[in-house]
Amino acid sequence: MEESRIYLRNSASGELVEASLLDEVTDRHLELWNESWQPAMQAHVAAHGLKARPEDHHWNWNWKAGEWRPMLGYHSFAIICEGELQGLMMVSDLKSALLPAQFGKPIVFVEYLATAPWNRPEIQLPPRYRGVGTVMVAAAVDLSWELGYRGRIGLHSLPRAEAFYRNSCQMTALGKDAAHQGLMYFEMTEKHAEEFRFNH
Amino acid sequence: MAEHEKRTMTLNLTAREMAVLEELAAKKDLNKTGVMRLALRLLQAVDAKLQMGQKLMFEDEKTKEKSEMVLL
Repeated sequence: MEESRIYLRNSASGELVEASLLDEVTDRHLELWNESWQPAMQAHVAAHGLKARPEDHHWNWNWKAGEWRPMLGYHSFAIICEGELQGLMMVSDLKSALLPAQFGKPIVFVEYLATAPWNRPEIQLPPRYRGVGTVMVAAAVDLSWELGYRGRIGLHSLPRAEAFYRNSCQMTALGKDAAHQGLMYFEMTEKHAEEFRFNH
Repeated sequence: MAEHEKRTMTLNLTAREMAVLEELAAKKDLNKTGVMRLALRLLQAVDAKLQMGQKLMFEDEKTKEKSEMVLL
């Protein structure tokens, strides 16, 4: 497992805070998910009702990690800041691009990406830290470079995250995918990956 | 870290296999090592699914006709 130093922004103070990006979700990360992340999600739903359920409330990271950790084609990432879990991501490297300019070329596909509930403005105001999603997308782009995929990545976005991928990540939307619950499918080209890494 | 260290091996291929490898490398925009590593990851993923009792199917986008790929 490799650990990289990254920075998140403390929403209240506006200051950058040192954090760690780990290129493997460990049992300890899953314990943190069970102990703090999952209860915070449940507490939010209990207080605000089913309509306030976060779009990823049903994602079970214990199951995801257990199934994918032994597989060479799957990679998991975790962000830890001040001893607490701030984000989780699972990606695969077995899928091909659909965008005509890079059709058929391999991409790193972001299967699941989530920031901790206390970092989401719809759950906590102000959110604790900002920047988790950007760090994770940058990690996916870096992995794509490492594998020789030249930064190409793809993903299906949950509705509330579409603006982030479209505007902040400059990814190209290819339309809603009927085969994946009608979720919007996005890809990042080599050129946009370079720009994204330059800017982040 | 140990798990990121690379190990080297010699791979003997027939001329035909090498031609296919080179063709795939060009098509996938990868070097030959990248293609072989991708093939390994893919085979492991498919094998895991088959071990779980799942099938590998291909679907024709136009006709929706499905065919099963049987692997050893």
